[in-house]
Amino acid sequence: MTATRPSTGRWIAAVLAAAGLATVFYNLLMDNMPKGEVREVENYTPWSAETLRTAAPLPIQDGGRIKPLSTYAGFTMLRLHGARSMKIEDGKGKEYKLKPTEWLLDILFRPQLAIHQPTFRIDNSAAIEAIGIEPRGKRDRYSYADLSAGREKLGELAQTYSGIDSKERDPMQTQVLDLASNLRAYEGLLGWFSFARNGVTLAGSSENGAPDKRAEISSLMMVAETLQQQLEESRAAGRGIPEGLQNLLQQVLDAANYAKNELFILPPSDRSQDQWKSAGNVIMDTMQGKSKEPETYIADIQLLETTARSLGGGEATFRENLAKLRDRLTQRAADRGEAKSVSLEVAYYQRNWFLNALVFFLIGTLATMAMWTFGYNRAGLISAWITTAATAAGLIYCLIAITKRCIIMQRPPVGNLYDTIIFIGTTVVLLALIVEWLTRRRFALGIAPILGTALIVLSRRFELGDGADHMDPLVAVLDSNFWLTTHVITITLGYSAGLLAAFLSSAYILLRGLDLDGGDRDLRRSFTRAVYGMICVTLFLSLVGTVLGGIWANYSWGRFWGWDPKENGALLICIWTLAILHARLGGYIREWGLHLSSIFTAVIVTFSWWHVNFLGVGLHNYGFTAGKNTIWAFYAAMAVILAAGFVAMAVEKNRRAPQSQAAATD
Amino acid sequence: MEPSSPDTPAKPPRSLAGRIFDVLSGFGLATILLLLMGLLTWFATLEQVEVGLYLTLKKYFHWQSFFLLPEIKGKIVPLPLPGGYWVGALLLVNLTLGGVIRIRKGWKHAGNLIAHAGIIFMLVAGGVAHHFSERGNMALPEGQTSDTAEDYFEYVVEVAEITDGKPRDIHVIRGKHLTDLSAGHNRLFRLPAMPFDLEIGGYLRNALPVAITERAPASNELVADGYYLMSRPDEVNDRGEPALEANTAACYGRIVDRDGTKSTPIILAGASFHPFTIERDGRTFTLDMRKRLWPMPFTVQLDEFIADFHPGTSRPAKFISKITRIEHDSAAKVTIQMNEPMRYEGLTFFQASYGSQSSNSGQMFSVFEVVRNPADKWPEYSLYVVTFGMLVTFLTKFGGYLAAGSRRKKP
Repeated sequence: MTATRPSTGRWIAAVLAAAGLATVFYNLLMDNMPKGEVREVENYTPWSAETLRTAAPLPIQDGGRIKPLSTYAGFTMLRLHGARSMKIEDGKGKEYKLKPTEWLLDILFRPQLAIHQPTFRIDNSAAIEAIGIEPRGKRDRYSYADLSAGREKLGELAQTYSGIDSKERDPMQTQVLDLASNLRAYEGLLGWFSFARNGVTLAGSSENGAPDKRAEISSLMMVAETLQQQLEESRAAGRGIPEGLQNLLQQVLDAANYAKNELFILPPSDRSQDQWKSAGNVIMDTMQGKSKEPETYIADIQLLETTARSLGGGEATFRENLAKLRDRLTQRAADRGEAKSVSLEVAYYQRNWFLNALVFFLIGTLATMAMWTFGYNRAGLISAWITTAATAAGLIYCLIAITKRCIIMQRPPVGNLYDTIIFIGTTVVLLALIVEWLTRRRFALGIAPILGTALIVLSRRFELGDGADHMDPLVAVLDSNFWLTTHVITITLGYSAGLLAAFLSSAYILLRGLDLDGGDRDLRRSFTRAVYGMICVTLFLSLVGTVLGGIWANYSWGRFWGWDPKENGALLICIWTLAILHARLGGYIREWGLHLSSIFTAVIVTFSWWHVNFLGVGLHNYGFTAGKNTIWAFYAAMAVILAAGFVAMAVEKNRRAPQSQAAATD
Repeated sequence: MEPSSPDTPAKPPRSLAGRIFDVLSGFGLATILLLLMGLLTWFATLEQVEVGLYLTLKKYFHWQSFFLLPEIKGKIVPLPLPGGYWVGALLLVNLTLGGVIRIRKGWKHAGNLIAHAGIIFMLVAGGVAHHFSERGNMALPEGQTSDTAEDYFEYVVEVAEITDGKPRDIHVIRGKHLTDLSAGHNRLFRLPAMPFDLEIGGYLRNALPVAITERAPASNELVADGYYLMSRPDEVNDRGEPALEANTAACYGRIVDRDGTKSTPIILAGASFHPFTIERDGRTFTLDMRKRLWPMPFTVQLDEFIADFHPGTSRPAKFISKITRIEHDSAAKVTIQMNEPMRYEGLTFFQASYGSQSSNSGQMFSVFEVVRNPADKWPEYSLYVVTFGMLVTFLTKFGGYLAAGSRRKKP
């Protein structure tokens, strides 16, 4: 930046940047907030904060690991609802914003309220029409009650569409299948506590015209052995099963089935069994005499029954029982050496580190605009300090979040696509700050929060689209902390360096093209050196990372290179950066050429990092579509910048030509 | 390699050889070849999605492919590109001439020289692995032992004498001596330990013996005992890609007795369930075509196979084969799993696959990929060299940047 007064060019640049930012946030907002009014859930009362705090750390086995109930609720809500919060109104004009744990507690313990909440996000109204329901809008959210009329038709269609190859399905068919799967999961939660709420009816036990008596499932589990004996005696005597007993067992079977497929919250005392149980599992095991620890599970079921029923006696009593349940199960998990990171994970999501980092990066981005607009005066200096402070704060938040994730996951930071986004977001900011420390020209400083903002926004969009818990354990072939640390981190750092080089060059094109630098050759040289350095770093990291990947493949499978798209993508980055460096050494490209080539590096990095995932390996359908559109938008943006660069270069050369001629004539 | 400076005083004109050397070792050629290699890699990545990896590699990187037209989503891109093999070969020449021979020598360029040498070493490692490595597989049920691996592709003819119900004096005719014996070409193989020799011809890389009563020969194929060999195209997998390991080779043979008498033709086919049996002088011999068995210098016993999944999911956590490696009189317990192969005596055993013997028994079997690669560790060593070279280069430049004091203090 030159020490000039604020110029028109700077204001144009600032307006352009503001327009770009506004576009990003408009898209983000539209993506996260489908149309639709706040839904009314009559007589809704919110859960107290204390109850939510009690419920959140209840350990649950899901996705192959032990996590807190709040995490399970968060990702289930994200998958079904497409967001981690929901607005409802209680019919008396009061609005509530439900968070995941509240939403899940409603489903489990207050299903009569939950079924009216707009849980199901539908992005393609054709799917709603197909199941015979009047759609509310192209994209909207529906409650379980809204969808119940089309439940049967949905099942039929889902069965038909599941026979179509996933690549051949149209968006409507995919949406129908997703909805069917989401509805099944929801019903698994909705009916989970029905065994506790309803118990079983003892047919023929009524006296004096009163309704039949009811019994608790846990009571039947206590006499499971006797019931088994009765069954065997009846069979041995050649009699059929007595009608009353058959009725009773059918009710137990139904109750167990409702509570079987979700919520695996009961850890076995036996450490050799690694799979936790749902209520349905332990009810069936005990009733069939298969359980190795029936007393433990009967006590569990009793406590679950007490907890569910105690809600009628007020939330305080309910909370007390919920706390007992949580403590009992947590202790048993601890005895197995599990659930060590549950509290840490609850706190991790409560602190919302990345959202806070995003806020800081946003402040940094706004301060950057001011810094670049004001130039080197007092206002510019103040803006620079604000930018530095906000960016550093955002970076620290990201680093803390990544460290916490590593502790929770017990593995290095990068193991899946989501991990790469937050890692690249963090390291690209770190690299930019290092470049700033080396150059002290405020261009890398300004780029740092902008890239931080963009990448954190991208990570949130990806998480929203994917709807999966990215802390879940990795598949066997990736289960190597050594190679995840060496190969994966190196190659991901290479992506960061490549992207930073490209964005530094984009800034250079903007600066020189719009003459914002006032012809400051020193600044331009500084830019060029920074970009050259970043390309060298990109080459170094990408080459080492690629070869390490080959060595890993050779070590694990006995082949160094398999022409896999991901491998090819990494090779492309190496080849491209080598081509740039050789072309520069040969004098074929100079400043303009280096920067234009560097901008194209972003396209190659994006192809390698992101695009190859779409070539054969499918992601979740939302993530797939959203990700793919984002890629094309990014390529288009890079093409525009490149085109602008070529135009600016041509204009500058044309402007210089008459001057040179004049000089020659003189 | 340095570009010539415009201020350099006039030099006598370069000889033709010198000019060729300049071009071959120049930055210009390096840049062009790198760009071409990048384009080829990019198109090959996209094209493999449509036509499969095997055909794509054949089109883009086989030595017989000199020029090609890329294809995206079934549409030809009108951009003729040179074959990747030749671009790579030229790049290797450029790298050697420019990056090792022509490059300025001295401490300032030592890093570059080391990095270039490391890359050459890496490419050599790839070539050695490609031409000299051997691959096979060993499938073992729990509790059983084996001291042989089966080659994935190579079919051989085995001639053995059967004594006490077991094959003895096994004579193996390797695949490289058979594959050129197309129809009309025969070769006589001397078998000194047997009372006969064997003449082989009419080799087919994928064929089935078919009874003439079932299907008449299409083009005068030789008929042996009512059967002839029906040639088949290469086998393909579910994605339509060639699955050459599933081919079953076959050929015709004639027994040539010591008095020169030739028998009627016999069929030796990989697809046959039983070997061909003959009697000579009261002795029994078998002739068989099968995939080459590769003797191991030790015996492997599979003690237990464990397929471990993350609890409550179908996501694999670990595939573990617990084996005993038996050698002479000693036995060693070894665990082979994903990311932890067994490397021993130049052989590497990788955990490749598994299954259960039958639906009821619960007994598992494990499949190991067995590889002998003389350049197994070379890529790793080359990586150290390249990393060191690049670090020297870049850190030298970075040091120079810092020393030059080009960091702006304050405007």
